[in-house]
Amino acid sequence: MLYLYIWIFPLLAAPLVWVLRSKPMHNLTVFIHSLLHLLAGIAFMLPSTGMAESLNIDALSRTIFLISGVLYFAVGLYSLRLKTELTPRQSSIYAICMMLFVASMDGASLSRDLGLIWVFVETTTLASAMLISFEKHKQSIEAAWKYLFICSIGIALAFVGILLLIIAQPHSPSLFLDRIISNAGSLNSFWLKISFVFILIGFGTKAGLAPMHFWLPDAHSEAPAPVSALLSGALLNTALLPLLRMQQVMNISHLGTLASQLFLILGFASMFIAAVFIMKITNYKRLLAYSSIENMGIILIAFALGDLAGKAGLIHIMGHSLIKSAFFLTAGNVYYLVGKKDYNACGGLLGLHPASGWLWLIAFMFIIGMPPSPLFFSELFIAFGFIKAGYIPALIVYFILLSAIAYGLGRAALGIATGPATGRKHLPLSWILPQMALLALAVAVSFLIRSRLQP
Amino acid sequence: MADILLVIFGVSLLAASITNMLSSIARILILQGLILFALTILKTNELNTLEFIFVALETIVFKAVLIPWFITDTIRKNGITREVEPSVSNFFSLGSMTAIFAFGFFIALWSGKSSPNIYPLHFGIAFSAILKGLFIIIANKKLITHLMGYLIMENGIFLLSLAIGSEMPYIVSLGVSLDILLSILIAVLFINKIRNSFEDVDSDELSTLKD
Repeated sequence: MLYLYIWIFPLLAAPLVWVLRSKPMHNLTVFIHSLLHLLAGIAFMLPSTGMAESLNIDALSRTIFLISGVLYFAVGLYSLRLKTELTPRQSSIYAICMMLFVASMDGASLSRDLGLIWVFVETTTLASAMLISFEKHKQSIEAAWKYLFICSIGIALAFVGILLLIIAQPHSPSLFLDRIISNAGSLNSFWLKISFVFILIGFGTKAGLAPMHFWLPDAHSEAPAPVSALLSGALLNTALLPLLRMQQVMNISHLGTLASQLFLILGFASMFIAAVFIMKITNYKRLLAYSSIENMGIILIAFALGDLAGKAGLIHIMGHSLIKSAFFLTAGNVYYLVGKKDYNACGGLLGLHPASGWLWLIAFMFIIGMPPSPLFFSELFIAFGFIKAGYIPALIVYFILLSAIAYGLGRAALGIATGPATGRKHLPLSWILPQMALLALAVAVSFLIRSRLQP
Repeated sequence: MADILLVIFGVSLLAASITNMLSSIARILILQGLILFALTILKTNELNTLEFIFVALETIVFKAVLIPWFITDTIRKNGITREVEPSVSNFFSLGSMTAIFAFGFFIALWSGKSSPNIYPLHFGIAFSAILKGLFIIIANKKLITHLMGYLIMENGIFLLSLAIGSEMPYIVSLGVSLDILLSILIAVLFINKIRNSFEDVDSDELSTLKD
């Protein structure tokens, strides 16, 4: 039933888009899909509709569904006036892939069955590989190939993990999460541990955790801006979700410490790799991609610490998605205005197009966790989590890595925003409005947190 | 009967580590596909008829015919008559395969005591095939060899899912969808495009994007 809701529009619209040959109609179809998606997300959130209960969707899934709904709506709006040199046929393929990509992402984030989650994650790989290779440069084809191949290996390993999870259940095995959790007492801990490692590596590849992150900077930097925004803001969360579910299973089977340790290791590795590369490279879209790796690391650390920090992980997921997608969309503006991807060659964005320049700077301030960004709260709560757990050296490393990343990103952001400008350019409103809305929503999230903190 | 087939499957993994010719790896893949087809018929009496026909057909069509044929075709068209070009020697590769086997059987036997539903021979060979596939991917440079490594890994996964299929039949058809992913991956999308954009299908060529 649930899958019917998610898939009905893409399946009906795909043939229509294939037949129609006008590019604005394709963009409009994607926009309508995104609008419906957003409405569904809101309907799931409102308790009065009772939809979430009847479809057995828990709070985590609902939140991630709503985030991807908001992002998809912003991207749909941004794409309305997108100027591309695609032929009508290519444009229709783009629209179809976009809808299938989002629909399979939703399937993965709403499903309670690990087998189905796995199938949907596999489908997202195919659809998004098409989207990444769309510009048909040598680079974008290379990026898509790496993405497809590395993620396929990851997906295959995750499948091994799922098979081992079945072995771990001696009586009436099931992949349905509720069943696994209710049978958690009888799980064989040896196989559960091995299965967890495989699933962590498998879905971790898709979530872009270091050391399995090699595809991510290529894919996110070569894809068109709207696709990068969705990949970074929505797909990474979807891939992270099965890991959080498995952590829940591990916690119930009294293996939570092992899960936390592995999460901490991968989280710090991701932050470290991101910090090193952010200091070194000059391509600003790649910088943003590395920043996504960093944030995925922070989220894993948050869930490893659990308790209050675990709630901070959820805040971080929301904040990162909203801000990073706004950042990627603005990077699309920058690329359109300046035409270069190396930040040393860019400059004067504030003079060239003030709105984009300010969006760029604000997104930068928010992503490094300056208040009123929600990331400020989540990073602070994670620091409290470290103190509470007594990991003081880890806390120091955490702050050093955060500062290094802030410095590296700041160099790029300020370099692009300031400097002498040559003339002034005009961009359509739909290229600025979505980012504004996303950043405003991020601020709203942090005020919501603040009001919850008041005694 | 099933045991003999499993042993032949294991021997084919050893053969894959000593050969240098791409075409002989393609032949090994055909052999593995046929073995998997036979095992599907022997082992999956729990599937209902429709599922059984789907899985059996998929194994014979994709694993034994379509994908190996496609790979042989690509080798011929590209004129890649050269060898596999591994970064490690045959001797080391054979030695590591032996170590992988030892590890696979060790895990299977050691943990098999606690779980009655694990048949060590089956599990050990499946696990070794998965690791062997990963090893081939890591140790070689050519994209086409990477694909072959992925295929061997996937054969191992299919073997593993057959071992579990008696308890959860639908997992076998799920494993099959991995094959379909792979076929789309290689056949339609990429090799052709990469061949047009890059002079040779070598992973060293794929280095315009780096930090």
